[in-house]
Amino acid sequence: MAEPIIALDDVGVRYGAHTALAGIDLTVEPGERIAIIGPSGAGKSTLIGVLNGTVAATSGTVTALGCDYRRAPPRQIRASQRRIGTIHQRFDLVEQLRTVHNVNAGRLGSWPFWKAALSLLLPRDVQRVRATLDRVGIGDKLHHRTGDLSGGEQQRVAIARVLVQDPVMILADEPVASLDPARGREIISLLLELSEEAGVTLIACLHDVEMALGRFDRVVGLRSGQVAFDKRRADLLDEEVDALYAFERASGP
Amino acid sequence: MTTTVRWEAAESTATPPPPRRGGGTSWRSHRRRGWALLIVAAIVVSAVASGVGSGTVVKAEGAGSLLDFVAAAVSPRLDAGFLALTGTEMVTTLAYAVLGTALSLVIGLIGGVLGSQTWWSSGVRSGRGRRLAGWMFARAVLVVPRGIHEVVWGLFFLVVFGIDPIVAVLAIGIPFGAVTAKVFSELLDETGRKPYTALLAAGSGKWSAMLYGLLPPALPDLISYSFYRFECAIRSAAILGLVGAGGLGFQLALSFQTLRYHDIWTLLYALIVLSVAADYWSSLVRSARARGRRRSRNGDGMRRDPLLTVSLAFGAVLIGFSTWWVGLDVSVMWSGEAWRFGSQLLSQAWPPSLGDGGFGGLLRLAGVTLAMSIVAIALAFGLGALFAVPASTPAHGRDHRAARALRLVAMLGSRFVLVVLRAIPPPVWALLLLFVMYPGILPGAVALAVYTTGVLGRLMAESVDNLDARPLRALRAHGASESTVFCYGVIPAAAPRFVAYGLYRWEVTIRETVVVGVVGSGGLGLVLHHQINAFDYSGALTTLAALIGLTLAVDLTSAAIRRSLR
Repeated sequence: MAEPIIALDDVGVRYGAHTALAGIDLTVEPGERIAIIGPSGAGKSTLIGVLNGTVAATSGTVTALGCDYRRAPPRQIRASQRRIGTIHQRFDLVEQLRTVHNVNAGRLGSWPFWKAALSLLLPRDVQRVRATLDRVGIGDKLHHRTGDLSGGEQQRVAIARVLVQDPVMILADEPVASLDPARGREIISLLLELSEEAGVTLIACLHDVEMALGRFDRVVGLRSGQVAFDKRRADLLDEEVDALYAFERASGP
Repeated sequence: MTTTVRWEAAESTATPPPPRRGGGTSWRSHRRRGWALLIVAAIVVSAVASGVGSGTVVKAEGAGSLLDFVAAAVSPRLDAGFLALTGTEMVTTLAYAVLGTALSLVIGLIGGVLGSQTWWSSGVRSGRGRRLAGWMFARAVLVVPRGIHEVVWGLFFLVVFGIDPIVAVLAIGIPFGAVTAKVFSELLDETGRKPYTALLAAGSGKWSAMLYGLLPPALPDLISYSFYRFECAIRSAAILGLVGAGGLGFQLALSFQTLRYHDIWTLLYALIVLSVAADYWSSLVRSARARGRRRSRNGDGMRRDPLLTVSLAFGAVLIGFSTWWVGLDVSVMWSGEAWRFGSQLLSQAWPPSLGDGGFGGLLRLAGVTLAMSIVAIALAFGLGALFAVPASTPAHGRDHRAARALRLVAMLGSRFVLVVLRAIPPPVWALLLLFVMYPGILPGAVALAVYTTGVLGRLMAESVDNLDARPLRALRAHGASESTVFCYGVIPAAAPRFVAYGLYRWEVTIRETVVVGVVGSGGLGLVLHHQINAFDYSGALTTLAALIGLTLAVDLTSAAIRRSLR
């Protein structure tokens, strides 16, 4: 069996007195498509942060692409991060920049500083950017100001930015939460297609349970910072999903 | 619009932390009353200390020469030769300001990034302690150059480089760069951090991530602030001329020495024109920015402003032209001679020594300097408030047409007065005042007050313009007359802001006491100037340290008072 792409061993994250994650064990094989579901505040975003190395685990070990975030030298961590693309709920694009620059921003990890600076004046690798934008369906928006695009288009730009990274794994943190349901389904389909085509691992946090249960192979349920279940889609029972959200419904306003 | 106010506040060294919860309103008003008493006492003590009412202040026999001087205003020297000289010197002053600003932007951009919390708070591994230490170190490095006035830097570099354009450029660029770095770092920290962290998560390097993720959103504000800095740089370039760095200020100093009144007026007019033009350009760019900000808040999206683009292109051309005009040659910076002078100066300055007066003398001087700044700011506060109300934009009341016209004239008149007051730098005001006053603390204080009135008046007028219109409308709807609206609506709302601006300007004024010291008004500035002229560098270092200490003390006091105002 191939080496796992992600290995979390008893990982915990604490912010002061608040425990965001505790005792998380998670192993991900290359090419898996995993949905992470759970009520808000369950620690989904924190988990994504731990996986891409922006949130430091306060206990346990995190190994991503064979690189231990706690022990590896920064250079090696960055090399791993370069192969992990993250898509965020609020897109996290720079609205003031043209689309081409926002897509090229995905290459910053492999570009030296001077090339990055030069590219802001004379965009580099335009052909590749155009081809990538074509792949996500907005090839005509190359020179538009990103802030002027619609929400769905902006999320496609964010996906294009991840694609030019040439990732082995895509992390998506509530990628469709700020889109209407129809746009949301389109984006999820696009992500799944792209990951299938290129054999890229996909891990998506989703608030929408229907969407998660639809087309992902494996579902991880999170509740108050702990793994409630971690099952093949086929083995998952409706009661388990209901139980995950039950607490939220009972105590909700 | 509000941008001048915003930048003034951002430059203040000590930003007051948010008010603590608890304590209750009675406790806070108690504190406020305490501060008010203390302020009144400080003003009275300072006024007495600087010799108000002692009788030996006004030089009556100088009134004649002052009248001669004023009479010369209508007949400035206008022959072709002198006009050509004035024009040349005007361009030189402009060039110094442009190059100084350019240098300050380079320092500001690098220092701003290194001084921002964003820069230090990213990365998976670096521990909290190390990050905090790095950030505090970057901030601390910027405090000293910011605490030393341009003129002191100018005097220092004159010793090192002799008369050379690099003196003015460095003297403006270094302290301005430190202030700019502080403001830039706060602007960067205010900017949304998410795109930046997203890029870091994708393995980007920090500098590249800053360039793509943080700078583009912050850029309009950075540019707006840069233009505000340029406006300030024109005044500094003129002052630096007075201490011998060339340009309009230098010619002014020469004309004052020979008392050629008609020449002085020509030069003053040139200075006013230059200053007003810079003022106008800068406020044009900044108000365009303020409009853009409002529009983007309304969700219309922010378009690229053609005015901004043209201004930037023109600025770039100016930088190239200025380099050529003054014949700037940066290689003197690493010439052996400059290094030798520099290291010689430093070795003579260390260890610092106390002057004849000993520690007590130093304390007395610090007290005098403090008194000068307090008298200056108290005067400027009163005068500024007086001018601010007519200088603010009139409300659309139900007034008569004649009354409205009168109001408009009052507005334009007071704005003009304020512009002239702040166009002429404090040392020139001090030289003028020396016609009718004996040298001492008071002429220095009055000179600072006159200049500061120009600045404070504008800040206060802007804040009156920006008052929330709704309560005022409500008062008018009750049938209140304009004067009642003013007493019940404008004054209570504007007063705390006026006091806050007064305090900000006090922080600036204590630094500027050095400037009037240079023309013979007492305090640490005068002593520093004497010491540098007499090659007593170890004494000068002590005075400088005292000055920086005093500046910091004033900053902290001002922050404490502002905190109680909230």
